[in-house]
Amino acid sequence: MTTKLSSAPLAVKSLLMCMLLMSSLCGCEREKRQYRTDPPVAAALDEVAPMPNGIAGAPPDAYVAAGEPYKSNAYDLSQGKQLYSEFNCSGCHAEGGGASGPAFLNGWWRYGPQAVSVFVSIRDGRPRGMPAFRSRLTTEQIWQLAGYVQTIGAYSAKTSAPGRNDAMQSRPSENRSPAKSSYASDQWPYSAAQ
Amino acid sequence: MQRSRALDWLITPGIWLIFSAPTGAHDPASSQEISPTRYSELTQINRDNVSRLKPVVSFRTGTRGAQGGAPLVVGSTLYFLTSFPHILFALDLNRPGAPVRWQFTPEHDPLAAGLACCNRVEHGPVSGAGHINFTTLDGRVIAVDPDTGQVAWNVRVADIHNGETLVSPPTVAGNELLVGNAGDDFGARGWIAALDAHTGRQIWRHYSTGPDQDVGVTGGQDRGSKTWPGESWLHGGGSVAAPILLDPELGLLLHSTGPPAPWNPEPRPGDNAWTSGIFAREPQTGAVRWFTALHPHNSYAWAAGTADISVDRPWNGNNRQLLLHADSDGRIYVLDRASGELLAADALLSKSTVSTPKTDLQVRNICPAWVGAIGGNPALAGPTGLLYVPMSRLCMDIEARNASYLQGTPYIGANVRVHGAPGQPRGAVVAWDLERRVAAWKIDERFPVASDVLATSGGLVFYGTLDGVVKAVDATSGKVLWHWQTNAGISGQPMTFAGPDGRQYIAVIAGLGGPYGVASEYWIDRRDATAVRGLAQSVADLPAPRDPSGTLYVFDIE
Amino acid sequence: MALLRRAIALSVCFTCPGCAGWQSALDPHGQQARGLEGLIWTFIWVAAAVWISVMAVLAIALSRKSGRGAGNERRMRVTVGGAVAGTAAIVLALTIISFLSTRLVSSEASHPLEIRVRGYQWWWEVTYLDARAERVFTTANEIHIPVNRPVRLQLSAADVIHSFWAPNLAGKQDLIPGRENTLTFSAQQPGTYRAQCAEFCGVQHAHMALLVVAETPDAFEHWRQSQLSPAASPTDPEQAEGRKVFTSKPCASCHTIQGTSASASIGPDLTHLASRSYIAAGLLQNTRGSLAAWIADPQTIKPGNNMPNVPLTANELRAVSAYLAALK
Repeated sequence: MTTKLSSAPLAVKSLLMCMLLMSSLCGCEREKRQYRTDPPVAAALDEVAPMPNGIAGAPPDAYVAAGEPYKSNAYDLSQGKQLYSEFNCSGCHAEGGGASGPAFLNGWWRYGPQAVSVFVSIRDGRPRGMPAFRSRLTTEQIWQLAGYVQTIGAYSAKTSAPGRNDAMQSRPSENRSPAKSSYASDQWPYSAAQ
Repeated sequence: MQRSRALDWLITPGIWLIFSAPTGAHDPASSQEISPTRYSELTQINRDNVSRLKPVVSFRTGTRGAQGGAPLVVGSTLYFLTSFPHILFALDLNRPGAPVRWQFTPEHDPLAAGLACCNRVEHGPVSGAGHINFTTLDGRVIAVDPDTGQVAWNVRVADIHNGETLVSPPTVAGNELLVGNAGDDFGARGWIAALDAHTGRQIWRHYSTGPDQDVGVTGGQDRGSKTWPGESWLHGGGSVAAPILLDPELGLLLHSTGPPAPWNPEPRPGDNAWTSGIFAREPQTGAVRWFTALHPHNSYAWAAGTADISVDRPWNGNNRQLLLHADSDGRIYVLDRASGELLAADALLSKSTVSTPKTDLQVRNICPAWVGAIGGNPALAGPTGLLYVPMSRLCMDIEARNASYLQGTPYIGANVRVHGAPGQPRGAVVAWDLERRVAAWKIDERFPVASDVLATSGGLVFYGTLDGVVKAVDATSGKVLWHWQTNAGISGQPMTFAGPDGRQYIAVIAGLGGPYGVASEYWIDRRDATAVRGLAQSVADLPAPRDPSGTLYVFDIE
Repeated sequence: MALLRRAIALSVCFTCPGCAGWQSALDPHGQQARGLEGLIWTFIWVAAAVWISVMAVLAIALSRKSGRGAGNERRMRVTVGGAVAGTAAIVLALTIISFLSTRLVSSEASHPLEIRVRGYQWWWEVTYLDARAERVFTTANEIHIPVNRPVRLQLSAADVIHSFWAPNLAGKQDLIPGRENTLTFSAQQPGTYRAQCAEFCGVQHAHMALLVVAETPDAFEHWRQSQLSPAASPTDPEQAEGRKVFTSKPCASCHTIQGTSASASIGPDLTHLASRSYIAAGLLQNTRGSLAAWIADPQTIKPGNNMPNVPLTANELRAVSAYLAALK
């Protein structure tokens, strides 16, 4: 029994092949990366409205309108990773395991998991030791950093998050939902073997 | 009679000078502090009866973290300080169970909590100028009245926005209080300051890096700035975090300086004077008498974090004034106190193994690790001539990274993993024979020993382990004669005193602080090998404390 | 024939200017570059000769009538054998010449001037090393060297592979993360030579240039002394305001200016920014105007580079550009 496709005239087959080819070419399109945000939009990204206790709240309208960038764009996440090491975050938070600052790897967020909370923590600092980076980073850089920090303790694997380190690899990579596995076991303290 | 023994036991003859303005009815002569040699002449508790030691007081503070400093007993009151944010407790030793007579909580700046990671932290009260004096993590020196807890004066000497903290108790020298800062891992420049013990006003301050004028060197060549590129000495580290020692005989202050910042040695070529060495200064002006460099261009972040001991004893036939410095590299440095001449540098256990860190390259198995081979303050027992040293035997893999100085953030430039040395237990207590320059005995410990050591005339040596066991061992043989499981790990100074009833007591505060304390906290994720600068995985098998709250235990023979 | 002559003359006119001048490997000013240039021309001439002779033989073969008889086989064997032998001889000769040339080019020298060059995306960090720590200093995107003295570059990279290439002076040498390579060269005449990154390193690889300035030893010492001093103090209120803007904005958290509180090493050292000829790694001439343009919007001028758009008011921009333009 012949299928309808194989018995179709040549013209139809050629058309289908062309359509297939063109749709596959669309796969060549790279993820868009935005190097430059318009200054009014960049300024608007600073207008978060946190709750009175500084935890969670409303993200800026510009952020929502842009489709919540910085959380899943591979370029922004890798810029965030670069900022994490350049601005000495690893000194207090290690590579996510914590030191004088809390760990991010276990997905337990002291001020809640929302991106707004992480943004406010970095921009304004927190009591008990987190310095404010408002005058040290631009708003977009803080969003990039916040987006990256969230992937350190992500509950779901994100393909755009950074993979294996070029530097010392000391913990599960960001693209492997590192926080999820910390709740798989009921053993405390976690031994190095896990 | 016990009281006269307590008098013999006082730190130096000069302590009488301190009490030039006695207050109220408290008798200055009855102040009992841990001595600079951490040796006590009390003999009531000895080899024969120590096995019957039992707690008579267990005072739960309700605070977690570093409960390190030795308690202070003045008259019939026991004073001790809890971890940051501090509470100074005054307990009444006259009543059973030592209830609280008063407590004092100074106002604190919570920002300092983010600075307390990886230094040995031991805040203890000291008695001076008729006050109870103490330092706080957030950079204050406070003097309170011993009877009421009223603040006599309260000054801020360290700037926590710069990463500076205070982690050691002040040292009393006549009418002065000496303090030095910690924070070289934040790029804070090290300094030592003298305050007026009556008013808290600063008399002088000198730095560990910079031009001679800042350091206190006369007739020098500005080595403190010329052995650094550009102005990197401004964030050069060299903290004065270890307790400062007073030598009343020679009229000298002796203190070590910490490692240079950042840990990555490549941005700071040169000898990096005057970090990682020992200073001798004049107490009145802080002018430098001598400096001995121990690790020029320290590339391994070896801190000089524990107390030195001064002793006069024969050396190669002649009687000399010696300074004993157990250094983070695992050696016991013996110096001449008068000239700074280095007489010996013997490895206590095994020699260090090092390779130079290079940016973006992993260098493995540098032993000892950055946290240092010496876990706590050693004790020197006169009769046995042995120096009892608590040790940690860890190694590190270090990957140096580009470091940027940003005020108030860590200035390290390294990813570090820490692990035990292959085939060796992670901790030890060593009895070092100064005469024969060998270890007389050694006790292996499963975990690094982070507590200080107390030696007594009763032939005993006391120390505590990271998993909370206080031990009494025979000073001559090292045999464990008594042990007691407390509620939390021990990282402080065991102390002994004569109570108002004339009996000898042993006081230990359990509550793990310092780097090992942070490494075992609940907010650390041990899956990251670099957590707590690598320490978290090195003590990952440390059992959870029964009660992480700090608890003061006082033991007596039952 | 006249046409051929005209063709030759025209081609000479077009090609010869390409040999001389700015960033050209065919215009050597250093010993290493001369060695490489010799090698280049040798290969060109030999290859040209081989090509012409092969084309001639081909032309002859195509124009000749075919089939002469039994002697063909023997003639063919001789010809083929001769060609193979000739090829082998030429290849061997070129290999030996190449080996000897590159060995000469990469030979070490005694007492070279040591400079550490570290490649970042997309700029060059240059540190002059010295046995005395106080004489060590850092600059960016510009290297000054004394003539006739060997210079040894210690090459490393911070992120991805870059390659150092100053064609007038030496060949290429890669900067590989986690590895230290060296390149030794010397300049024989004073001059300014442009170098650039020769290994694709990201979106702005094309704009990662470096200037190598060869000077007389006296001029070099003078330059070195001025680089060792801390940054020039502001001389008027606008510059003072500029310094305040610099240290209070994100500028100070990426750059170092010795003598101020700015001590970060994420971006280039700016202590003596105004002493350099270009900014943004050879992209713009160093004038106050281009400085201001760069600071105002680096992402439009060099999209994707790691300097963010820092929001500044017009007054702040004027002040900070005045300050930076005065940092000689």
